[in-house]
Amino acid sequence: MISHTNQQIAWVHLTSRLRQTFVAILGVTFGISMYVFMNSFMTGVNDLQSDLVFTTISHVRIYNDVPRQKENILKKNFQEAKAIHIRNEKQILYQEGIKNANEITDFLEKQPEVIATTPQVNVSVSFRSGSNNINGILSGVEAEGEDRLFNMTNNMREGKWSQLKYQANGLIIGNVMAEEMNLKVGDNLTVQTFDGISRNYTIIGIFQTYTKTIDRTKAYLNIASVRQLISKNRGYATDIQVNIKNFDATSLFSNKLTALLPFQVEKWQAANEQLDAANTIRGILALAVSLTILIVAGFGIYNIMNMTVNEKIKEIAILKAMGFGGNDIVQIFLLQAIAIGFIGGLTGLLLGFGLANVIDQIPFKLASFNTLPMAYRAKDYLLGFAFGMLITGFAGYLPARKASKVDPVSIIRG
Amino acid sequence: MLNAMKTILKTEKLSKYFHQPQTFQVLKELTFEVKEGEFLALIGKSGSGKSTLLYVLSTMDTDYEGALEIKGEKLTGKSQNELAAFRNEHIGFVFQFHYLLPEFSALQNVMLPALKLGRCTKEEIEAKAYNNLDLLGLKPQALKKASQLSGGQQQRVAIARALINDPAVIMGDEPTGNLDSKNTDVVFGIFKELAKERGQTIIAVTHDDDFAANCDRIIEMSDGALIR
Ligand SMILES: Nc1ncnc2c1ncn2[C@@H]1O[C@H](COP(=O)(O)OP(=O)(O)OP(=O)(O)O)[C@@H](O)[C@H]1O
Ligand SMILES: [Mg+2]
Repeated sequence: MISHTNQQIAWVHLTSRLRQTFVAILGVTFGISMYVFMNSFMTGVNDLQSDLVFTTISHVRIYNDVPRQKENILKKNFQEAKAIHIRNEKQILYQEGIKNANEITDFLEKQPEVIATTPQVNVSVSFRSGSNNINGILSGVEAEGEDRLFNMTNNMREGKWSQLKYQANGLIIGNVMAEEMNLKVGDNLTVQTFDGISRNYTIIGIFQTYTKTIDRTKAYLNIASVRQLISKNRGYATDIQVNIKNFDATSLFSNKLTALLPFQVEKWQAANEQLDAANTIRGILALAVSLTILIVAGFGIYNIMNMTVNEKIKEIAILKAMGFGGNDIVQIFLLQAIAIGFIGGLTGLLLGFGLANVIDQIPFKLASFNTLPMAYRAKDYLLGFAFGMLITGFAGYLPARKASKVDPVSIIRG
Repeated sequence: MLNAMKTILKTEKLSKYFHQPQTFQVLKELTFEVKEGEFLALIGKSGSGKSTLLYVLSTMDTDYEGALEIKGEKLTGKSQNELAAFRNEHIGFVFQFHYLLPEFSALQNVMLPALKLGRCTKEEIEAKAYNNLDLLGLKPQALKKASQLSGGQQQRVAIARALINDPAVIMGDEPTGNLDSKNTDVVFGIFKELAKERGQTIIAVTHDDDFAANCDRIIEMSDGALIR
């Protein structure tokens, strides 16, 4: 229990040397505001990175490829070296792609982790217009599903994404391709598959994802039209894209799917290892820098509290002579440290928020963003405050304990 | 009447040594008793060990040999926290150099030991503190910071503070050392009354022969030993 009398004494100590108290509070304020700001900024950067990445890839991709590594059947069956003669060797055609995509998406949508799924038919093609030629990917998509996962409406520079659904021969291309091949909405573009089939489509829109290879080599078409182009049935898809609620938990989910589905399951980290690593490293960096600042602030408090104890050693002796116990003395000085930590913590949160807000306004052109990225997460504020209190408490406790051990007689005797 | 008096404080072969700069015995096997309601003067030459003895009796100094008993309670060997609680309730102390908390008002200084004890409400304590200050002629100074008071005023505040919890034993190390004869008389009168009317015990170190002569009993020290 904290005695009211001890509170009063702590209060008098704090207010009778306002300048020192102010400096100590300022130290905490600075430390915590930096903590909040650094973490807001780093989280902002991480979120921006993720946003950029997830405009082009989904959290989980499900596909079905022919096994790439052909097994050496001979070696498997005949261990010893032998001369073998094989006649009429036959290549068996494996089923590529997913035949019953609708069943799979229905199944996926039932999983509690899943937010959205969409099937795609992706084909390697070459785009031709006059003498220009670009090799790329023709992506057959369901307009609504694709929009739900990748927010395509937002990526449109010209035309309407939703038109994809209604215009069977309407093609949407990237802005870089449009520039390079000198195309605009309404122009025609020839698409040729590697099987030699060629067809003409009309450009009904231009998108921009800010990922240059995609903006240069990708084009979207209604999924039914692509199936028709490569003569596949309804329900055929090469990929199924899945987004889940918490993309940090993708590994868990993809492991689950691998066990349930006879297809390959690729999580986003596999395609973007560097993003995952960068996120982690930035997090560590932010924590290290802000904790360092907080610890420096802690040393400041430790110093000031130590000075206070030395200055007040006579008063401590008097209090003890009057019958205040060691616990009372610890309380008196710890309360001062906690008050400093609390006030400094609150003002630090405010300052950190203000700082983040100001930096958030500074113009900074990056991809589709106009200002520096900044995240406002309650977690950063709560943790900053908690760390601040913890460090001030600790920095205050050591001098307080020292004070409680003062021998009154040696001080009073003079 | 005198026979009916209870022993309030008792020592048994109390010895104390200082080791700096070299070991010497500052208190030499002191054995004596003090009765309830007794007004005792402790005299002796400068350096004879009066203050040292008083610190031991006040329970603040625990570095001694022998035994100390106050109010029938054996205090030797008790923990610092237990002793602090004991002094808070049963011992009032006036230091040789009137130590007050400089940032607190005279009134707050007087109130603190009672607030710590928590036996009365804040209002009761405040009223009593005012009363004590008034007895010592300090009512106009009650709200002044301790650091703004004169030496004699500070000493009287310290006396008012020592009385606030109605302690069984009041110890003063030259409690009137800084006072003029009029205020000395006032303090003496208060002590005398406390001893007589309320049965509180007073142990006062003094160099003032008149002061000592008017006490109930005189103990004289010389080189750490009792000679009277
Ligand atoms: N901390 C200490 N270390 C060593 N010697 C000490 C210490 N404190 C006091 N002394 C010595 O102990 C002896 C007794 O000191 P004490 O203060 O008790 O004397 P006193 O009787 O109160 O004197 P005065 O009347 O001048 O106040 C003195 O010789 C003093 O020098
Ligand atoms: Mg002395």
